[in-house]
Formats: sequence, C-alpha cells, structure tokens
Amino acid sequence: MRPYFADLPKTALGAAYWLFAVYLLLPLALMTAMSFKDASFIAFPITDWTLNWYAQVLQDKQFIEASLYSIGIALATTAAATVIGVWIALLVTTEGIWGKAIIFALACLPAVVPGLINAISMRIFIRTVDIPTGTTAIILSHSVHAVPFVVIMVLTRLRSMPANLVDAARDLGADPFVAFLRVTIPYLMPALLGGMIFCVLTSIDDFVRTFFLGGYKPTLPMLIFAKVQGGMSPEINAMATIVLIVTAAVGLYAERLTRRSRN
Amino acid sequence: MVDTTTIRTRTAEPLRVPRYAGWIGKTVGSGLYRHTIGRLADSRPVRLALLAGVPLFWIAALHIGPIFQMGRISFMADYPPSPDGGSAYTLANYKLFFSDQLYFVPFLRSLVFAAVVTLSTLVVVYPVAYYVAKIVQPKNRVRALLLLLIPFWAGELIRTFSVIMLLANRGAVNVALRELGFIDRPIPMLYTSFSLSFGVIYLLALYMLLPLYSAIEKIPTQLVHAAADLGASPFQRFRRVILPLSKDGIVSGCSLVYLTSVGVFAAPLLLGGPNTVIFPEVIATLFHSSNDKWPEGAAFSMLLLAVSLTTVGLFMRVIGGRSVRLM
Amino acid sequence: MQPVVQFENVNKYYGALPAVDGLNLAIEPGQFVTLLGPSGCGKSTTLRMLGGFEQPSSGEIYLEGKAISHLPPNRRNVNIVFQDYALFPHLNVGRNIAFGLELKGLSSDAIHKRTMELLALVKLEDFAGRMPDQLSGGQRQRVALMRALAPDPNVLLLDEPLSALDAKLRQQMQIELKTIQRTTGKTFIFVTHDQEEALTMSDVIVVMNKGRIEQMGDPNELYSRPRSRFVANFIGQSNFLEGKALSVDGTVATIDWNGTAIRADVNGTQPAKDSPTTVALRPEALYCLAEQPQDRFALKGRIVQRVFKGAHTALTVDLENGAQLHLQLDPVALSHIGTDEIWVGWRERDAVVLAD
Repeated sequence: MRPYFADLPKTALGAAYWLFAVYLLLPLALMTAMSFKDASFIAFPITDWTLNWYAQVLQDKQFIEASLYSIGIALATTAAATVIGVWIALLVTTEGIWGKAIIFALACLPAVVPGLINAISMRIFIRTVDIPTGTTAIILSHSVHAVPFVVIMVLTRLRSMPANLVDAARDLGADPFVAFLRVTIPYLMPALLGGMIFCVLTSIDDFVRTFFLGGYKPTLPMLIFAKVQGGMSPEINAMATIVLIVTAAVGLYAERLTRRSRN
Repeated sequence: MVDTTTIRTRTAEPLRVPRYAGWIGKTVGSGLYRHTIGRLADSRPVRLALLAGVPLFWIAALHIGPIFQMGRISFMADYPPSPDGGSAYTLANYKLFFSDQLYFVPFLRSLVFAAVVTLSTLVVVYPVAYYVAKIVQPKNRVRALLLLLIPFWAGELIRTFSVIMLLANRGAVNVALRELGFIDRPIPMLYTSFSLSFGVIYLLALYMLLPLYSAIEKIPTQLVHAAADLGASPFQRFRRVILPLSKDGIVSGCSLVYLTSVGVFAAPLLLGGPNTVIFPEVIATLFHSSNDKWPEGAAFSMLLLAVSLTTVGLFMRVIGGRSVRLM
Repeated sequence: MQPVVQFENVNKYYGALPAVDGLNLAIEPGQFVTLLGPSGCGKSTTLRMLGGFEQPSSGEIYLEGKAISHLPPNRRNVNIVFQDYALFPHLNVGRNIAFGLELKGLSSDAIHKRTMELLALVKLEDFAGRMPDQLSGGQRQRVALMRALAPDPNVLLLDEPLSALDAKLRQQMQIELKTIQRTTGKTFIFVTHDQEEALTMSDVIVVMNKGRIEQMGDPNELYSRPRSRFVANFIGQSNFLEGKALSVDGTVATIDWNGTAIRADVNGTQPAKDSPTTVALRPEALYCLAEQPQDRFALKGRIVQRVFKGAHTALTVDLENGAQLHLQLDPVALSHIGTDEIWVGWRERDAVVLAD
C-alpha cells in the first residue's frame, strides 16, 4: 500500500543506530590515533607516526605504580563488596524476616545518591570515625558504591534458583554452612564472576570518590586527570589507550559471563 | 546397522571423584567442627543472627551513617565544633544558600542542565534502543548492543578526555572544517556549555540505552502488528502502543541519567569553563579550600540530594513507572 | 516388630489451619508405604516433617524408636527424592550421587566404588560424567533415586517423583521403583495423589484427607473394603446405596433400601437398628442378567445409558424400586444382554457398609 515509504522508518532507525555508534566510537578512535602521533603536542592533523609514546608509558614509573595501586584498591573493593553483597542478598531472600523490603531499599541507597554526594558524605563520615584519607577510605567508599550492584545481580540469580536444591543438600547430610558453600555458591558463580568484574572496573574507573578521599598517592584516574590538567602530550593518549583496551576487554568478558548466567 | 557398543563407549564419560571429596566429610564429621561451627549451624536463632548481623551493621554504618552525619553537620555552626562548647545548631548554612547568588545560580544551572541532558539523551537514545531491540535480527542483537557497550567500559575520565580530541581548537572537528574551507579560524567549542553537554551526554548515554532496550525488547511485536491491523498509522502505533509500554524503561533511564548528571564532577572540571560553573564544583570548593566550610558544604549537599531525589520521585509518580531497575 | 517410623499425635498448623491433624501412624520396616490423598490432604506435610523440613506443632515422630522432631534434616537417617528431582545443576551425575557419601567421611576410593555400584543398579554407568541437563526425564529420576539411596538411609521418602513423567514412562518407572525397593529391602514412603500408582506399587496404602488418616491397609483391602465414602470414592468408583438398617446377623447386615431388603457385609461397623446406613458397591462387582435368576439375588431394571469405554462398557440402570445404579460390564458379559430390560445383582460380600 505504501511501497515507497514502507521501509523508511527502518532505514531512518538504522541510520540513527550507526550515527550513534560513530558518536560513541569516534572520540575514542581519535584518541587512539593521536597516541601514535610523532610530536610532543596534541593537535590534528597527524602527519608522522611513532610507537615511542607507548614505550615511554610502559617505562613510566608513575603510571605503573598508579596502575598497581588502582588494581590493588579494585581487588580489595571487589572482595569486600562481593562478600557484603552476597550476604545482604541472602538476608533479603531468607524466609520469615521482617522488613525485607526496607533492608533491600537501604541496600540500594548508594546507587541512587549522586556520586559527588556519596563522596562528600563519606568524607565527612571518615572524619567522624577517625579514618584518615587514603587507601582504607577509598576502598570503603568504592565498596559502598559497588554493593548495590552485587546485591541486585546476586538476587536475580538467587530468585531463579530452585528452592529445593538447598533442601536436597541438607537432606543428604549438609549443615546450612556446607549447603551454602557446596550448592548456593556454585549456583551463584556466573553472576558472582560477572559482578566481581563489574566491581573491579567501576573501582578502577572511579574519579570523584578518590578525589575526595584519596591521600597523596595517585590512583590511575587521578594520574590521568593531573596529566590532562597539566600540559597535554600524546603520552596521555597512549596511557589512556592502554587502559581503554584492557578495561574494554575485561568488560566484554564480564558481559558474556553475565549473559550466560541469565540463560 | 549401527554398532551400539561403539556409541556407548564413545559417549561414556568416566566418573572422577576428586581427592578432596573424602576430606569434606572428614572435616564436617570431626569433633572440632561438630562442636564449633556445626553447633552454630544447628540453631536457627544463631543462624539468623549470623545472617543479619554483618549486613545490617554495614547498611547502618556505611549506607545510612554518612548521609546522617552529613545532615547533622549541615545544621552546625562550626565543624569541628569549637572547643568552648559552642556547637550550637543553626539554620544559617541553609539561609546562606538562599541569600547569595553565587550559590543559587549554579544550583539552578545544575538542575536545568541535568534536565536538558536527560531529555536530550532520551531523544537521542530512544530510536537507537528501538532499532536494536525490535529491528535488528535476534541473533545479531547482542553484537549490536556490545558495539555500543565498548565505550562504556572505557571509564569516565578517558571518555571525557576523548571528547577533548574531538572538540578542541586543534581537534578533529575544527581541523576538518578548516581543511574543507568552511572556516578560517577555529570555532571555540571547548570550555562552553556545548562541550559540557556534549561530554555529559556522551558519558551517560548508556545508562539510558540499557533500560530502554530491555523495556522495548519486552514489548510483544504482535501488539504493534495488531495496532497496525486496526488501522493505526506508524505515528499512532508509536504514540499509543510502543511509548506507553516502554514507560518503565523511560522512567529508569531518565532517573539514572538525571541523578548521575546532577552530581557529575569530572566532566565540568575538564570540559567546562567559567560560564558553566555548576553546583558540584561549588560544593567541592567548600571542602577543598584551605579554610574549609564543611557545614555549608554539607547543607548544600543535602539540598542537592533532597531536590534531585524529590525531582526523580515526582517524575516517577507523574509518569507512573511501576518498578525502577537500577541495571 | 518395632515400627521403623512412628507418628504419635502429630499436629501441624499453618496459622489456625490444621495441615496435619492428630496423626498416629506406625510403619513397619521393609515395606512400600504410600500416602495417598488429594492435594492439601497433608500427605506432603507429613513427608516433610519426617524429612525434617517442617516441625510438628505438637506430637512426636520416632525413627527406629528415637524421637527425631528436634533434629535438622542433616541429622536424620532418611532421604528424599524430590518432586522435580532437585539434582545439583553444577555437578555431574556421579558427583550428584556421591554428594551424600562425601559428607559421610568415606575415602574417595570408597565413594567412587559405591557410586558406580548405584549407577550400575539403574544401568547408568556410562552417564557418570554427564551433567543433569544432558539427561532425559527418566534418567534424572533414576539419578535422583540413587542419590537419595547412596547414604544408605533407613527410610526413603518419595514426594510425587513420577508426576513429571509421561504416562508410558511412569508405568515403567513404577515397576522399576518397586523392583529397587524389593532388592534393597528398604522402607519406601511414597506420596502421591494418583490412586492407580498407589495400587500398583504399595504394600500398604494410607489414605489421607483433611490432615487425617481415612483408612490404612493393603491395596486389595482398601479397594474391596473401603471404610468411608471418601475412600470408596477416591480409590476407584462406587455406587452408594442409602437405606436403613433392619437387622444384623453376624457379619451380614440387612438393610432396607428403597423398600427392597438387601444384604451387605458389616465391614467392621455395627449399624444400629433403624439407623441410616450407606452401602458401597463397585460398578464392576455387579452382574447383569437377561432373565431373572433362580439361585441368586437380583433386581429388575432398565438400561438408560450405555457408554463404550474400550475395555469395558459403562451402563446406567434405573431399577424398579426407583434407585439408579452404575455398572461396568466387560464385552463378554455384555454380549449376553439383548434387551434393555435386565436383572441386576451382586454377591453380598461385595456390598460393604460404610462407617459414615
């Protein structure tokens, strides 16, 4: 009936998709391209190419130290957030407990409070309880940020778990702890792995919390921020490209894990 | 004829019982375990206490505690309280906000900015989400989505930095325009409200994409066909069927983007200029200046938190989304 | 002989609702016992109380003479085969079966040996390394059974384990279950709402209704001597003849039924003279003749409906005394009937007086 226009919306939507993809990927592609520029300042066009910036970054002590520091914080954050997140999820799914909806809502609170306010309130809090700014404070605030996501991922998986799996384990002689370790945890594993990688990445990415709670030692985002605010040279591009490739690869892997756990 | 024995041997998979298997029972059966953990496990009150203790402590101390303490300090005249005991509670910090344009204007700018960013993101992302959820073949959907997810994992700072590559005076856009002969000297795009909005939309688009995608994907395609069958034009089908059914996704996506953009911090530092000072920067200076003004900062944070949560709450009430999913 | 399982005045309330109401039940060792009843009759609750997943509100449960009500499931020597099998999805078939053995502190060699023996019992040796989702429904059923038998329980509990299988497979599994019960010599307590399943497999059937035991006995006894209207109706079908007791002579009662005097087995009851009395009569226990017999009891009637059911034909007959009876006739018996005017009768031991 409308032979000429029938496909128009589809074509337009397709165009919108590809434009959006270009919008998302072009800046990162430009950033990557700039990392190969053989000049000491950032400007287009690029005429000479080099790998020197990468060589320089990989020998940069500051970069390596900041990376290791960030990874350390991320791992500690992940451990804490995973344990607490699973614990909260278990509490929320236990039969016969009063106020589960409230507990769940409060567990998700940090996810709806804007990041800056999270950071500031934590800054005030650690002063109240006498924790100095620095590693402990960063790990605490990153964990608080990550817990809601772990809770939600674990809850989703727990809700799909047949109720009588734990009953079966108990029936076969497992006490509640053994049943948890041998049945519940393996069942949660795909969701847990996905959630853990998510924790690692959000912790490594985080800027605003570290900005308010960090000590003198810079994390990776703090280092990049300082370099961007100082003079700009393609060294930053090389640094950012390395981080981009590593985190995107890990992120894609996590995505696959969680997707598989849902099926 | 098929030789059944070969099939059997091929599919046979031997049982492997790991060495540790025997140790599980030995541990659980040992007197040490039975009289410690085993005893705890047998009692329901003990189990409940173990289950509830740590999570409740964590939530009370670290989810509620900081906000509570921030609220308390926002009413203090001095922090830390002055040694002569004059830690009077006061409303002065809140009054200060309303009396000084220096604070009031960035606050309004922040709210308007967040609203504009949210709306723009919705308009930009909706067609994309619809395309991936409904038009792309199901087998390609995950791939189409993952392509858009790659930048999501790059991190806030790196994405902000990459926007500079695009918009700087000697960035890709200006250089391209000059090479094509459209302009003689670069258009200043960086450090303006344009670059800031561009960057923040770039940062937050994916918070909109995922909820929208999952909401639209759940709409049964037959409903759209049924509407078409009843004579609805493409616009009517969108307005009357698809839009109302994707309401949950719109509410979640908008809430997430709004709440994040209200508190956005790194992007204005890198992409904004003197004319784009928004509220988070104002708050931050109160905490980082040499003579820090924590009570004022706390009061302003409380205001920002209260206003942004109320806005989102009202929005959800008006639109009437049933459930907001955070992921 | 000491009963292996004993329920003593066990009550279980959910709020004010009784799920199990004053249960007294003793189960002899080595028997295949079926708890039979409609959904909500308390049979599953009874099983779950024995397994340790529910606590009785009052009363006591004994396992081999020891009170076990206070023990958690992991400290009871009973195992359950769950309705949907509840196989651990992350463990292969062998490790599923070995799960209970691993918790008993056996060496890994002993675990391996015992697991393979159990797999051999259901001919699944080649599937030891398979994951549960790679098995068919029947195979899962067998694995679940072996997993529950592995720790060598005193009593095996089966919670409607066959309900997920299709009809053919279910019949096959019924026989297999019975065989395994015989070879292992264990006490099986089987819960079902399917009367045919119960009749096929059980040594003893316990019919439950509204949290109480209606009747308990071997399948034959339950079928031919139902004590209550519920049992007579739930297991097979029955005609209910409602009348007034005239006299009782030993085990035979004479009852006035619509003006006709009929004789029925008192079936353990003692109907008082002139009290209202119900007699149950199986449709297939009725005989049907073209002529009035000289040597047997028969009533004149008229066939008002014939429904062909394959192996038998269901007839509805209006009697001259105004009552209606349902009959089931096999093709041979039916071939002797030419007209709709017939004579219907029964042997007096096939008619039983009900307690209610």
